[in-house]
Amino acid sequence: MKQFESLTGKQLSRRQLLTGSALLGGGLLATGLTGCGGAAQAAAVQDIDFWHLLSGGDGIKMQAMINSANQANPGFKVHPTVLAWGPPYYTKLAMASAGGRPPEVAIMHASRVPGYAPGGLIDPWDLDLLAENGVTASDFAPRIWEKSQYNGKVFSIALDSHPFIMFYNTDVARKAGVLGSNGQLQEVHSPEEFKAMALEMQKVTKAHGLSFGYLGSGSQMWRLFYTLYKQHGVDMVLTPGQPMKVDRDAAIESLEFMASLFDDTIAAQAGDISTGIAEFARGGSGMLFSGVWELPTMKKAGIPVDAATIPTLYGTPASYADSHSFVLPRQLSVNEDNRRDVYKFVTDVLKGSLSWAEAGHIPGYQPVVQSTAYRELTPQIHYANAADIIDYDPEAWFSGSGSDWQTYFAENVQNVLLGRDKASVGWDAFEQRTNTLLSRPNPV
Amino acid sequence: MSTSTLSRPKPENLRKSLSRTNNNLSGWAFATPFLVFFLIFLVWPILHGFYMSLTGQSLTGANDGLIGFANYAEALADADMWHSLGNTLYFTVISTVPLVLVALVMAALLNVGLPAQWLWRLSYFAPYLLASTVVSLFFTWMYNPQLGLINEFLTGIGLPRVAWLNDPNVAMWAIVIATLWWTVGFNFLLYLAAMQNIPAQHYEAASLDGAGAWRQFFSITLPQLTPTTVMIVLLQILASLKIFDQVYQMTAGGPAGSTRPVVQYIFETGFTGYRLGYSAAISYIFFGLIVVVSVMQFVITRRRSA
Repeated sequence: MKQFESLTGKQLSRRQLLTGSALLGGGLLATGLTGCGGAAQAAAVQDIDFWHLLSGGDGIKMQAMINSANQANPGFKVHPTVLAWGPPYYTKLAMASAGGRPPEVAIMHASRVPGYAPGGLIDPWDLDLLAENGVTASDFAPRIWEKSQYNGKVFSIALDSHPFIMFYNTDVARKAGVLGSNGQLQEVHSPEEFKAMALEMQKVTKAHGLSFGYLGSGSQMWRLFYTLYKQHGVDMVLTPGQPMKVDRDAAIESLEFMASLFDDTIAAQAGDISTGIAEFARGGSGMLFSGVWELPTMKKAGIPVDAATIPTLYGTPASYADSHSFVLPRQLSVNEDNRRDVYKFVTDVLKGSLSWAEAGHIPGYQPVVQSTAYRELTPQIHYANAADIIDYDPEAWFSGSGSDWQTYFAENVQNVLLGRDKASVGWDAFEQRTNTLLSRPNPV
Repeated sequence: MSTSTLSRPKPENLRKSLSRTNNNLSGWAFATPFLVFFLIFLVWPILHGFYMSLTGQSLTGANDGLIGFANYAEALADADMWHSLGNTLYFTVISTVPLVLVALVMAALLNVGLPAQWLWRLSYFAPYLLASTVVSLFFTWMYNPQLGLINEFLTGIGLPRVAWLNDPNVAMWAIVIATLWWTVGFNFLLYLAAMQNIPAQHYEAASLDGAGAWRQFFSITLPQLTPTTVMIVLLQILASLKIFDQVYQMTAGGPAGSTRPVVQYIFETGFTGYRLGYSAAISYIFFGLIVVVSVMQFVITRRRSA
């Protein structure tokens, strides 16, 4: 501030004032540039920018976790920026990283990492630094930990897994006589048994047995389809430059089964997500296929709700899922102090993720899942086994939650589900669309 | 020599030419801010965008460098590009006609001299002031297949439900209806202003000659409105070609891609599909189409006014 003192001590000419302002500006700029890493600033509070796409109840829970991490760590302050789910979020994150002005840490669906890691938009995590903060690979379920890696490096740290599950109304189920002696829904093992159970529930509700809104939502159609497809014990592989590797018969069988549900008796023929959720929440059906994140809504609705993984109808237990994961967007230059704080913040949130579990998600951090407090959460504990059977999207730069690829799925199969197209027609068109994407230059 | 005397400017001529230079200078000074913005935000992006369309630029920063017209060749062979371009043209045709005709009818009705003019003007124009998000949300609820107001009304009078935004044969019309409600007020206002500028003497003379209301409308009002009509049609075509917001928010281009306009396809290939170079090439193909439409329009107007 020396320049400023020398200028204030006497009458200023216009030229001196201009020179002074220029010097002062330059001085401030220089302090600003070195300020974050400067030794003199080390004791100051570090600001951490954090982007996420969690809104509604999830957003409130996340804000509470941020607040408690901030309180526990006076050395840093996390500033969240919440952006809209889907393309808006991923587009902005990619552009911010490519442009060199990303946040220090961000939430990303684990399924989207293959679109970001190869292009160098995110940095790998340092396992030693994680271990210093008390978090290691053994703290995660194997499927989740495996998914956090890309090309042998850990690119994402899973806060949770959020599978696609089945909610059911225990009152309706009891009246329909489909509750087991343990108070939970009886197990069914085939498409026919499932439909018979749904019809029993329909007799109770007089409306529908099952709620599943899908119109206009590629994600929703894909979640159920991929669960059923993976239950056939088959794979789907996307390799750029090659046609999609897929079991066509299993895909068509899954689509045909889905279409057969929407007969206006088992489930409404044409319903969107909000209609499906509203129907189940007011007792208009016995079951709802949806994501775990819908649990707070159902609890708030005051219906007697329990939950389980989607019944295994084709032999192999499977459940579509994704994980909200922490990633490190690539910085132009990494500020080591700041990054250490990011590790501290992320590991604190992981360790405090019991409150995240209250929102329905299955925590990624196993010590929380194994805690007594989590064991007492119902119905969360009734579907916690999903973490062992979850399947993420097949990997490609264009797949994953909220991707255009899921929209293309809807474009080709919605008419199948509405009974206007044959399953084979819809599937073949989607496969062709996917092959076009695979044949194009890979932009990452 | 006589030539030298001729070439020497007379004092008043010199003053004139000096003042012309001054005028030019001040003209440039006034135009400069605009020119700077024009160069930075229009000319430069146009040139840079064209350059980008010749490269394999990716949103992630990767770049394959100059690849010539490969992106254009790929785009011209891309069925989805043609499909989305077709959707845009289809929307333009089926939206422009009602947006012009309904505006004309509304203006004519009001011009007859209904009482409470301000109320009519307000209610016709007010929707235009809403944001596209509001309009889209509003219509998405109204079009809801199970709970929506419109299907509720249809089933109330014994008609079947319509899957407004989920039937590929209906979705585009559903968007046209929403767009009509939302934007027709602007065209209506232009028509009304033009109608009120037609001299009353024309109508007086016509009625003295025994012309009825219809005759007056077709022989005086419509011909006098020709320049306005030409302008409204031009503005409407250009506005409809740019369709994006309401489609993105109401159907996201579905069902089965039946409403995806080319602007959305450009957005998808460039921003969510990361291929900026390819997306720029499609933009330039679309740009070429708009230029062709504008030139055609210009030629037709000039011929008419000549």
